Amino acid sequence: MYSRLLARLLGWTLRLDVAINRVYPEDFNPLYYTGGLANLFLTVLVLSGIFLFLYYVPSFNDAYTSVQFITATVPYGVIIRGIHRYAADGFMIAILLHFFRNWFTDRFRFSRDEPWISGMMLLLFSGFLGVSGYVLVWDTRSQLLVSMTAHTLGAMPVIGGYLESMFIGSAGVSNLLLPRLLYLHAGLATFLYIMLWWHYVRIRHPKVWPPAVWTLFSLGLILLLTGLLPAVSQPTARPESTPGTLAVDWLFLLPYVGLKVLSPLVLAALAVVIVVYGLYIPYQLPETPAAMGIRDSGVAQVIDANCTGCELCYYDCPYNAIVMTPSPHPGVTKAAQARKLFAIVLESRCVECGICVGACPFEALELPRLLESDIQQKVVQACRS
Amino acid sequence: MSDPQAKYGSWIVLLSLVSLAAVVAIAWGEYSGHRLLAGGSVGVILLAYSFILLFLRKGGFTGV
Repeated sequence: MYSRLLARLLGWTLRLDVAINRVYPEDFNPLYYTGGLANLFLTVLVLSGIFLFLYYVPSFNDAYTSVQFITATVPYGVIIRGIHRYAADGFMIAILLHFFRNWFTDRFRFSRDEPWISGMMLLLFSGFLGVSGYVLVWDTRSQLLVSMTAHTLGAMPVIGGYLESMFIGSAGVSNLLLPRLLYLHAGLATFLYIMLWWHYVRIRHPKVWPPAVWTLFSLGLILLLTGLLPAVSQPTARPESTPGTLAVDWLFLLPYVGLKVLSPLVLAALAVVIVVYGLYIPYQLPETPAAMGIRDSGVAQVIDANCTGCELCYYDCPYNAIVMTPSPHPGVTKAAQARKLFAIVLESRCVECGICVGACPFEALELPRLLESDIQQKVVQACRS
Repeated sequence: MSDPQAKYGSWIVLLSLVSLAAVVAIAWGEYSGHRLLAGGSVGVILLAYSFILLFLRKGGFTGV
């Protein structure tokens, strides 16, 4: 049933691609650049965040005032704050589109499990960064978020009390909260780049940046929204009273809306189930070629005698499964005798796709159970029939 | 000039005029202290440029 659902979702996704490709040239289709768009928004967030960091004071007495100072007095402060706020929305939208697109198009299988797992981490950390960003403003919304988060963490069995005091910094809300959250906000934003390295490390040609059309469009939209709907704070937080209603940002604060209908324990359990399931997605479907009903070509093999060390296979492999090493001895063919490098296939990364076989002009790579000569024979037969 | 080129060319001219108006708005916003207007106008220029790039491509003026 899950496979049938995925197949249907794949069909809808591809139909959406075709529809968008009718409007935009194919290399401008924004759905092909959701990861690059997220990267663009993250860069904007980091740059604008550094600016805001220079003026922000993380204490109960001064946090709200410093944010108001940035907004009202610092030159272009209101613009930079707006850019930070709307780039965060853009970042989350791009990440969610990237997540669903890769899920629906099966791009989590075989060696793509690492990008998937690191992507899940990026999604989780980004959600936390969004919530902590709202708390740092220290208005009534921040106060309510702290109260709801502490309440939810505290409701978890066994470790609840420990998590609650770890979050707020002491037995009750203390002045330590905002410095801790500022550190986590900035520290985790830096950590996102480590996660991004992990996300890209197994991908040979990641599209890390959108085309100019979408870069200009995204930056323009952020600035236009900043001008039309400037980011503003709620009234300042007052520890002596608890605010009754939460001003909701549907992208980042949706789980908090769930507290209206779910108990904190159920909400926390649901969050854990969703995260664990998200991490399990790459391993849910059968992965052996036999179970999947696909060809079993075997891991690509380098033919020592023919390899010239030209690196074409290394550059073409989308899975980073080929590395070049200094050649231990010359090859046999004339072209291979002067080689300096030698290609090695990493078995754990090879998905048996055969791209390297097509890339090699020297017949130095073969899939052991799907030889190039057999394919040529099949093509000739197909052409004749 | 073929029909699609003329159609997209007209859009490009129109967007260029919009960009020009946004430049005037930026200058006025800076002069009068309306920074949100100035910031929003920078956004309008970038949006206009993004569509100009798109129409240059769709009209066959650039690219394949």
